Amino acid sequence: MTLQERFLLSRRGFLAGACCAAAAPILTPVTFAAMPGEKRFVTIILRGAMDGLDLVQPYGDPAFAALRPMLGRTPETGLIDLNGFFGLNPAASALAPLWQAGELSFVHAVSTPYRNQRSHFDGQDMLESGGSDTSQRTGWLNRALAVMPRSDSRKAIDINTSMELILTGPNAADSWSSQSNFTLADDEIAFLERLYARDPAFSKAMAEAKETDLSADSLYGDTKRGAGIADMARLTGGMLRENYRVASFSINGWDTHVGQQAQFKKAAGDLATAIVTLKESLGGDAWKNTVVLAMTEFGRTARENGSKGTDHGTGGLAILAGGAIPGGKILGQWPGLADDKLLDSRDLMPTGDVRELAAAMLYKQFGIKPDNLTGKVFPGLSFDASSQYLRG
Amino acid sequence: MALSGSIANQTLAAIRFGYGLRPGEQLPGDADALLAQIKKGVAQKPRFPREGLTGRQETATRVLSVRAAEAKARQAGKPNDDIRKETQREARRIYRQDAMARIAQAVHSPLGFYERLASFWVDHFSTSVLKSLPMRMIVPLYEAQVIRPNLGGPFNRLLQAAILHPAMLIYLDQNQSVGPDSIAGRRDKRGLNENLGRELLELHTLGAGSGYTQDDVRSAALVLTGLAVDNRALEVVYRPRIAEEGPISVLGRTYRDDEGEGQDHILMLEDLAANPKTALHISRKLARHFIADSPPDEIVQAMVDAWSKSQGNLTEVYRAMLTHPAAWTEPGRKIKKPFEFVVSGFRALNLPERNFANLVRDLDGEDEDEGLASKAMEMAGADPQGARKKAAGRANALTLGALQRMGQPIWQPPSPAGFADEESVWLAPSQLSERIAWSRMVARIFGQKLEPAQFLDMALADAVNPETKTIISQAPNRVHGITMVLASPEFNRR
Repeated sequence: MTLQERFLLSRRGFLAGACCAAAAPILTPVTFAAMPGEKRFVTIILRGAMDGLDLVQPYGDPAFAALRPMLGRTPETGLIDLNGFFGLNPAASALAPLWQAGELSFVHAVSTPYRNQRSHFDGQDMLESGGSDTSQRTGWLNRALAVMPRSDSRKAIDINTSMELILTGPNAADSWSSQSNFTLADDEIAFLERLYARDPAFSKAMAEAKETDLSADSLYGDTKRGAGIADMARLTGGMLRENYRVASFSINGWDTHVGQQAQFKKAAGDLATAIVTLKESLGGDAWKNTVVLAMTEFGRTARENGSKGTDHGTGGLAILAGGAIPGGKILGQWPGLADDKLLDSRDLMPTGDVRELAAAMLYKQFGIKPDNLTGKVFPGLSFDASSQYLRG
Repeated sequence: MALSGSIANQTLAAIRFGYGLRPGEQLPGDADALLAQIKKGVAQKPRFPREGLTGRQETATRVLSVRAAEAKARQAGKPNDDIRKETQREARRIYRQDAMARIAQAVHSPLGFYERLASFWVDHFSTSVLKSLPMRMIVPLYEAQVIRPNLGGPFNRLLQAAILHPAMLIYLDQNQSVGPDSIAGRRDKRGLNENLGRELLELHTLGAGSGYTQDDVRSAALVLTGLAVDNRALEVVYRPRIAEEGPISVLGRTYRDDEGEGQDHILMLEDLAANPKTALHISRKLARHFIADSPPDEIVQAMVDAWSKSQGNLTEVYRAMLTHPAAWTEPGRKIKKPFEFVVSGFRALNLPERNFANLVRDLDGEDEDEGLASKAMEMAGADPQGARKKAAGRANALTLGALQRMGQPIWQPPSPAGFADEESVWLAPSQLSERIAWSRMVARIFGQKLEPAQFLDMALADAVNPETKTIISQAPNRVHGITMVLASPEFNRR
């Protein structure tokens, strides 16, 4: 990364940081020298409710094929087998080498404590604030900064135009926006089409704009979007190779109510691009010390709906990547897809708290005390060093 | 499609006749409340020109005298490109600050109807900063000096003030117009420039196709000869040496120079203002702008009647429009112009003043060399210029650049006819893309903490379809929820 890239912080962001002691390392060459070998942590928020049953398909579960006649696959139809029971959607095939290298794991049937409401906004708030309800107004990653034992691991950055909730709070964090104006994800375009459905003039304009990509910085272009995601991941990797230790960004496009196959393919491709690019840009040593945690607000219905898509569900999937994870594993307790095993005979039953997974990774990477994790970072969570996510 | 039928008058007043809702701002409920804004607006000093009226006159003449001195030195073989460039930079900066102030004026003023009228008349009497360097400094002055104070009074006063301003005379090449039969014309064979004469009849008063002839255009231009701008003092002057000698006949009336010291053009302007065709042309244009692309004949007629009864008192014409039932019952099919869209977006977001100040500062950052941030960053081996450029680029993309891309850059109309006003123009596919992109950008920058349902209410109150409400509440992420509020048909129509 060039010096220019490294300091492309917004001026206001920089000034805000420059006034506080926490920003001092940016001006101290010593910190640069002391950097290699330190732990890093990246969160990726998959906004729109990622369908975990599509990304990591339980093809070995006897109920799966009937629930997912259109979306379900087997190794015979292109699924990349992981362990004889689960297989990876080929849209994310770029991740397969990481699985083989023991740098990728999946955690099935996790969720936040959010239940029954199924609003993306509230679900994402819970996921980012780390509380047991939506009352927390700061992000858990920000609160975690305050209780990390070594201050030099506290430099955090949110890769967004403005700070996302997960890193919002009293502790210093910088926010950086990628130069590229991200194109719309497919689910976002679908929502705009619904929005314009009753207004023929708007519908027509939208259809033509999409068709010919007459766009403001290619608002609808797949190629542009892919490049944007890679840029963002490259930037994050660069920042983490320098003096940042904590980073977060989001990937949109997961709200696949209609025509899921095509939409999901793009979103899963974006996720794979992000993780692979992170690894490339971090480089060997830093990647070895990195944990990437990708998570979503909730899962989707076990059954396909009538529009070749899926609707808002409960139990979801989290993804772990990096050289510092217990890799090549499907973690968590698989509840099964039989009708009586589903939540309300509808959703994958959550058997784990995604916050516990996050707590385990913070513990592992930064040695944050369990007391602090359950008291300050994730109030109300039960977690200790014997957590299932720390084994292996 | 249109805004739904049963919107409260208060909401409609803000959306159709103002720059949209702003949280906490008192809503004008009826015609009287809207009309009451005019007196207040006229009495107020706008945010531009930044140095005030006399201050701007001084700034502009100072910049021009520096350029004149450099031009003189250049002729003597001692050019100074740095000085020239610096004056260009300064004129650009002045324009940029005023243009930002124009956005802030519309965003922060509680007098939405007055502000909309100012935009209407600035567009009606179009001038452009792109014409020449001095115009970057005096077009904002023109709006503040002649449009805003006169938009509620008799039309003839507004017409005279607009036509007899240096900005208008420069824009329509009046300095190049010499009476062929004037002293100067006979001597050096300089000729007539019909630009101002033509636009005066076609755009400013009678209207295209209203029956005047090419001879009338030429004659009007002849009557206007003698009017010129002193390029150093930036003042309108009357130069008898270039004035065509009368008598000259326009639309059947004969004007002579001996009706006073160069007063023939004033008399002609009075006659044009009083012409019934002018009343019809402008009443219809107002109704088209505020009510519908094809307004009902009755409302136009009511405005024309009010015009003739009041001898062209514009407040009475507006009153006739606002008190006509059609003003409140016509479905909202009009598409907000880009300036209206961006301003109403900022208003709905309730951006505090200091955010604007920051944007202006970021925009100016491009020209800065020193400063605390750049020093600190240089110490760290960084590239402060890159960071400044980025902040400036972002501020620009949110404001002036957005309006440029959407096709309505401030004080830069495509022609003397101003910007288009019809639905078809502002709902083209590329236009929609630009609006979605802008909505997305402001949602990401200013909307992260907003609740989409609440924002929808702030932005549109009851002017929203229940189905739209549902769709927005289901958006896959907050940013997209906020984006959709701004990109919705309801928010883009009025």
